[in-house]
Formats: sequence, C-alpha cells, structure tokens
Amino acid sequence: MSPTRITSLLSVGALALASLVSPARAEETVKVGVLHSLSGTMAISETSLRDVLLFTFDEINAKGGVLGKKIEPVVVDGASNWPLFAEKAKQLLEQDKVAVTFGCWTSVSRKSVLPVYEKNNGLLFYPVQYEGEEESKNVAYTAEAVNQQATPAVDYLLAQGVKKFYLLGSDYVYPQTTNLVLLEYLLSKGVPIENIGGGFRKDASGKIISAGKYTPFGHTDYQQIVAEIKQFSAGGGAAVVSTLNGDTNVPFFKEYAASGLTAESCPVVSFSISEDEFRGLPADKLVGQLGCWTYFQSIKSPANKKFVADFQAWLGKSTVPGIVKDGRVTCSPMVLSYDGVYLWKACVEKAGSFDVDKVREAWKSGVSFDGPGGKVTTQPNMHLTKNVFIGETKADGQFKILKSFDNVYGEPWLKGKFTK
Amino acid sequence: MRKTFIVISAFLAGFVAVFAEAPQAIIARAAVAKSEKTQGEILTELMGNADESILPLLDAWRKDRLFLYEAPAKPTSVVLLDGAKDAQGAQQATDIITGKPLAVRLVADDLNAATHSANLRRIMKAVLDLTDLSSANPAKKLGAIAAIGQGQQIEKLPALEKRLAVETDPRAIKALREALALVRLRSPDAAVKLAALKELEALESLASTDFVKTVIKDAAAAKDERLLSAARSALQAVERHRTVVDFGGTLFRSLSLGSILIIVALGLAITFGLMGVINMAHGEMIAIGAYTTYVVQNLFANGLALSPFGFSIGLPGLHATGWWRESYFLFALPLSFLVAAAAGILLERGVIRFLYRRPLESLLATWGVSLLLQQLLRLTFGANNVQVGSPAYLSGNWIVGDVLLGWNRVFVIGFATLIVVGVWLVLTRTSVGLLIRSVTQNRSMAACMGVRTERVNMLTFALGSGLAGLAGAFLSQIGNVGPSLGQSYVVDSFMVVVVGGVGDLVGTVISGLGIGSFDQFTQQYSPTVAGALANVPFVGGALQNLAQDSAVFGKILVLCVIILFLQWRPSGLFAARSRSLD
Repeated sequence: MSPTRITSLLSVGALALASLVSPARAEETVKVGVLHSLSGTMAISETSLRDVLLFTFDEINAKGGVLGKKIEPVVVDGASNWPLFAEKAKQLLEQDKVAVTFGCWTSVSRKSVLPVYEKNNGLLFYPVQYEGEEESKNVAYTAEAVNQQATPAVDYLLAQGVKKFYLLGSDYVYPQTTNLVLLEYLLSKGVPIENIGGGFRKDASGKIISAGKYTPFGHTDYQQIVAEIKQFSAGGGAAVVSTLNGDTNVPFFKEYAASGLTAESCPVVSFSISEDEFRGLPADKLVGQLGCWTYFQSIKSPANKKFVADFQAWLGKSTVPGIVKDGRVTCSPMVLSYDGVYLWKACVEKAGSFDVDKVREAWKSGVSFDGPGGKVTTQPNMHLTKNVFIGETKADGQFKILKSFDNVYGEPWLKGKFTK
Repeated sequence: MRKTFIVISAFLAGFVAVFAEAPQAIIARAAVAKSEKTQGEILTELMGNADESILPLLDAWRKDRLFLYEAPAKPTSVVLLDGAKDAQGAQQATDIITGKPLAVRLVADDLNAATHSANLRRIMKAVLDLTDLSSANPAKKLGAIAAIGQGQQIEKLPALEKRLAVETDPRAIKALREALALVRLRSPDAAVKLAALKELEALESLASTDFVKTVIKDAAAAKDERLLSAARSALQAVERHRTVVDFGGTLFRSLSLGSILIIVALGLAITFGLMGVINMAHGEMIAIGAYTTYVVQNLFANGLALSPFGFSIGLPGLHATGWWRESYFLFALPLSFLVAAAAGILLERGVIRFLYRRPLESLLATWGVSLLLQQLLRLTFGANNVQVGSPAYLSGNWIVGDVLLGWNRVFVIGFATLIVVGVWLVLTRTSVGLLIRSVTQNRSMAACMGVRTERVNMLTFALGSGLAGLAGAFLSQIGNVGPSLGQSYVVDSFMVVVVGGVGDLVGTVISGLGIGSFDQFTQQYSPTVAGALANVPFVGGALQNLAQDSAVFGKILVLCVIILFLQWRPSGLFAARSRSLD
C-alpha cells in the first residue's frame, strides 16, 4: 500500500469521524440529569419515568430545544440503593454540571439526595406522590401532596356515605405520615376515633404518633388483616384506605376477594396503584376499587389523546437498549415528569437563563403548562396547583373517572392543620 | 260530543302518564339529570314500584352501556346500543322509553355513557334489592337481605316479613331475622326495640355491633334504663361470640399458614434434610412451579408469546372456555411437579453431584444457580410479576358459625395433608423409599450392598425439587408470581426444616404447624396484650407500640423464639441419628 493511499484513507476516516462529531459540536446543548433506578426492586416503576423523560426531551429537541439549546440527557442508575442515589446526584451536579435533574421515586431516595442538592444549589424535579412535611428550595415538587390525593379521596368517600375507615399501609415514611394526616383530617370531619380502624401507637404522653395497620415490604400473609377488615365492615358503611406498596397488593387483593368482600360492600381506595402498576396486578380482582391521582390515561381530552399517541409512537421507534415496548400505559407519575420538563422549560424561558436561582424565581412567580391531565401551575412553595381525579378500576387496568376536583393548591404542611 | 270525548280521553291519558310514570321513563329522567344528587333522588322513586323489567336497564347503566344521545335540536334521549357493528362501528340504537329503534345508527365511542358513582350504584342496588330478595342466587339474596338490614329503613319491614314467611333456606332465614331485628331497632315502639335486641342477642349477630352501640348511646342520653340494660346484654353476647369466632378463625388461619409452610419446606426437608445438600436454589424450584402454572393457564386460554434472549416463541392456546378453562389448575399441579423435578435433575447432574462431600461449596454453588435461574426467569417472562387467575372453585368461601373458611385455604390444608401422606408412603412403603433411606443413612454401605447411589441421589433430588414445584403451583393462587418469588420463601423453608430437625419429615410437619400457629396467634392477640406489655420496665412503651403492628411483631417474635429454641435444642425437634450428618 502506497503512502498516498494511506493518507487518503486516513483523511477519509477523519472526514467520516468529523461528520459524526460535528452535529454535536455545531449546536450547543444543555445537560439535564435523569436519576432513576434502572435496576433493583424499584426498576419496574422507575424505568417508565426514564422512558417518558427521554420521550419529552426528544419532543422538545424536535421543536428547537430550550433557549435554542438541545437537551442532552445524562442518565444515571440509582439501582434502588439509597446511598448510591446520593453519590449519583453528586456526580450529576459536580462532574456533569447538569442544569436540572429529574428523578427519584421513593421518599427515602429523595431524602438521601436532598443534602447534595442543597449543598450544590442544584434543582431536582420530583414527580411521585409523597407525604409532604418538606419544602426545599432545591426541589420542585411536581408530585401530589397529601391534599392532592389522600384528602380528596376521603372527601369523596365521605360524600358517598362512608362512616368507617380502615387505614392500611406498607411500613415506611409515606404511609405512616399520610395516615397521621388522614387521622387528623377524619377527626376534623367528625368521624369518631372508634370508627377509624387499624390501631394506634402512642408515645409516653399518650399522643398518637402512628395510626393504621402496617405490613413489611414483601408481606404475603394477609389472612388476619382481611378477617379484621371483614369484621370491621360487617355493619356496612366502611372503606379501606390503602397505602400498600407494589406487589404486596397482590396477596392482599386475592385474600380480599376470597373473603367475599367487594367494592360495593367495602371499597378500597389505593394511593400507590396507578395504570403502570396494573401491569403486574390482577386487575380483575380490583374491579370497582378506587384510585386517586392527578392524571388518568382515560382522560378524554385532545391533549391527553395526543400525549398517549405520541408516547406510543416514540416507544415504537425508540432505540433505547432494553426498553419495553408492549403493553405500555401512561400514569400520573409519568405525566408529572412530562409536565415537570415543560414547566422547567417555561421557567428557563421566562428567566432567560439556566441559572438555578433565576429558574426558581420564575417558578415562584407562577408559570403554567397545559399538560395531559389539564393545567398545572407552579406555586411559591415549590409545589404545583393541579387537577385531582377519583377513578374506579376497570377490568382492563384503566380507570373510569368518577369525580374531579379542579385546581387543587399543593399544600405540603398538613400536620396539625386540621382541627375540629 | 265525540270531540269532547276525545279531549277527555286525551286528558286522561296525559293524567295517567304523569302520575304513573313508567319505570323506564324514570330511569331516562335520572340518566339525563345534571347533578348526582338529583339523579339519586329520581332513582329513589323507583323503590318499591319497579319490576324485573328495569333490571337490564340498570345493569346496562352500571356497565356503561346506557348512552346519552343528543339529536340536533331535540332533547337528549337515552338509548341502548345493540346488534352487530357495521364498518363504521355503528350499532342500532333503541330509545329506552319507547322501546323503539331510532332512525339513525350510532357509534358507542362517540356517545357519552350515563354517569354513575358508587353512591348512585348503591341506590340502584337498593332498588334492585327488593327484587333481589326473591332471587334464585343465594349469594345475591343474602347480600340483598344484609343491605336492607344495614339500611335500617322501617318502610322495608313488610318486604322482609313477607319473605321470611316463605323462605326455606336456613341461612337466608337467619339473615332475615337479623335484618328484621336491625330495622326494628329504629322502631318508635319501645317494646319492639326490646324484642329486637333480644333477637340480636339470641342470634349473636356480629354485624349488629355498631347499631347496638348506637342504641346504647341513645339510651344513655335518654336515660332509658330498660333499653340500656337490654342493649348492653346484647352487646355482651355479641362480644362473647366474637371471642369464639376470633379463636376459631385464628385456629383455621394457623392451620392454613402452617400448611403453606409445610408445603414449601417439604421439598427442602428432603434435599437438605435427607440428602444434606444446602440447596439455596430451593426457592427458584418453587418459582419454576409457579411459572409452570402461569404457562399452563395461558395455554388453556389464548396462548403465550415469549421472547427469551431475543428468540420469539409463540405457544398456541386452546381457547378453552367455562369449566374446562378453569380446570387448568388441576393440570398445572402435576406439570409443575414434573417441570421442577426435571430442573432438579439437571441441577443435581450438573452441579450438586460434584459437591456431595463439600457442603459449603454446595451452598455457594446453589446460591449462584439461584441467581442464574432468577435472571433466566426475568429474561423469559419479564421483570414484572405475571398474573395467575384463581379458578372459581378456589375463590369462594364458606362461613361456618361466622368463621370464614376460604376455599383456597381449605384446599391448601387438604393439599398439604395429601402430599405429606404421599411422601411418607413413598419413603416408608415403596422400594424406592427404602433405597432413599438407605443411601441417606449410610452412602458407602448402601453402595457396597449394590445400591446405585448416584441414581438414588438423582431421584431423591428430583422428588425434593418436584415438591417445591407443587408448592409454587399453589402459591400462585395466593400471592405474587415474579422472578424473585423464591427468595421470599427460601428463608421460611430453612427455618421450618431446621426447627423441625434436619432429617425428619414429622419434625417438618410439626414445626411448620407450630410456626404457623405461633405467627397467627401473635398476630391476632398481640394488640390485645399490648396494654399489658406497657408495664415492662424500660422498653414497655416501645413494646406496646410494636405489638400494635401485629404482622411485624408476629414475625419478630417467631424469629426470637426460634433462636431461643435452637439454643436449647440445636438439632431441632427431632434430632436425626444418622451417620451421614456427623
């Protein structure tokens, strides 16, 4: 091979390389972090959020990006490991210098990354319903606060003539805190304490520090609890308020159905079961049971129809390794992630800068976005005003919307707020 | 004259139409009403003056098949769609008031279905309850009776009394008496109230608790001593009965949990107990059984498409229906045994036979195998849980003296008994059993006597794994089927076998039942003793709160007791006297 040949080959190679690299160089990008568990126990839920985020970035990039810059996602895996979440957050903020992060599902992962974001003055968008009692200037809570899910659901049940409430949950911070708030709320609504089932735990002074019945993650034996609910509901007018998480719902609902309890004799309203969770649950056992979210896939609005269709089309074409394409649905945490990206875009555009302090000021000034679940508006307390829907489970794993509450203000501080 | 007659008759017809509105018309009026409250009020009018003819309409309403049709420049009409769909998806529409088909064909997706909330459905139910009282379906009838009782509407008394006079089913008679007594608690007549309380006391009605408590509150406020004492004594009788029911229920639940523990541990009692292999992959054998059930279920239904490692495999389904489809579980049981046994043979031939004399290595190797199998299941069936439905014969219940006996639980107790007896017969009454026992007691001596120990090992391991597979088939009926199903049971299995005494089936049975009962009784009674626990020095408060979380407390206490027990008897309940374990 002659030297000229080699040079020409090399130059061709260099050209090819340059052509590969050049588009990325020619346009400026803004780095955005995605911090979800893509492996481990939470991967089933959190991978859906990564998918919807990547979809949203593509959608925005196709329309020119944010402030003329394309979004460049930096996806990291929290691996359902809470200390690892903090390390990955540190990496995103200190090495990758992302402008904003979308991430976390469990409250414990949020609590573990919180100090990292506060120290580096980063900005985290958190999309999953949570227990409140927190308000950090470094977190934009697109999530449902307790008064955007639990209390509207209870209002609905009270309006339906339910007089007795059995509180049941998985044993961790979200159910425990939510049930305490609910206890105060129910008492303030005139429900006598003997009509609240599940038991109470008190501190030395006799103050109730925990209400309801709790089971550990992965619990399989719900015989005794269902027998208790059966007696609790024997006189009619009872409902179960469930914050059971993930797959413990399967043995619970199987036992529930086998004991002859039905949605008519004693409805269960669950706060942790959305359309996405139904992919692993026996939906036929849950027909008629209730859910409460700020979005249901069954919402009949043009915006939602377009969102669902676009997401499915994106999935079909997606080349993300290992992405699940069949049987996908959309659910509230996914839509709140989607809304979050657009709200961030709107805030950046209003502020004219990616600077976290300026973006926050824009957020606090009140920015709106018309999402698939209706209009969402940012609030000075870093939460969102949004619509809340009560839905009833259908056999195909979708919800039929029974009632909606429009523009509910997100209020994180609820403990001690309800008094008789 | 003739003209006058026509006018009068037209007037009369209008009069009749206004004052005896057809139930269909009432339903149509309710369906188009604006607010849920008005809808409820209109539907309430149907109570008592509706016949069976409205059943299909209310049913359609509840199932979202009652549609509102807004023809241009006409009031909204309420229609039912039926018949075949044409190319545009349109169906024939029938106006429910006239019962006549409309000129236009309509598409269901373009129309709004009449809305309904749980509250409205409850009113529809109340309407139907009165027709349901004479239903041929016993569950429906009992539900209707209970609903009327809980509603406590005096005006429904005659309907109940009429029914009681002709009822023959003893369960329905009891329910009717209970419902009558509950409704009579609202009677203005003091004597009727007292009699109702007496009746509830005699019936020991658990459902009446809240209602009797209300009576007590009212009587105390009104200082009515006679009523108060009668109500109190009724409540006492109910509470006494509740104690008995709770105890019976706990006993039954103990048996059922014990049976589950026995089923999951029995296979391990053979592989670990008899053969001495610390088999960490036991849980995955359970999972294989559960997934086999899932596959069989889908084969009976519409087939299954799997894509392990990028290959796509499509299994055709039988498209069975009705009883035939429900019987899939009976086929799944032997199949899950066979599939898990085959997996066991592979595991034994591939890994374990090289490690018989090295228990620690076998522990690590089988743990590795367990991780591999989990990933394999994940790749084949996906990371999400899969759904295994319960056939109808496993999803009902019996109520015996207010104790709830779920059919799946009764089944597991019978099933456990059957396989324990079966395994015992195999081990003690067959030549294979004799060989298994001889090899596990002294391998070298058995080999000297001409027993093909390699082969016996393989068979024993297959038996143990097959039993784990059976356990999996059953567990698919009460819990999750997912790749990590085995992990949640492997610890329990080891616990049962170790407590029972390695190498003894009787030990496994007793320890399974013991652990199950201990767990259930702590769950049931720990909130009751929580108050007493408060008196424990230093940790009293914490213990009291912990005891409220009965499910967690039960588990903690079981583990503590097992630790203490093993301090006392390190080799379990029944210590095996076998040289192979020395």
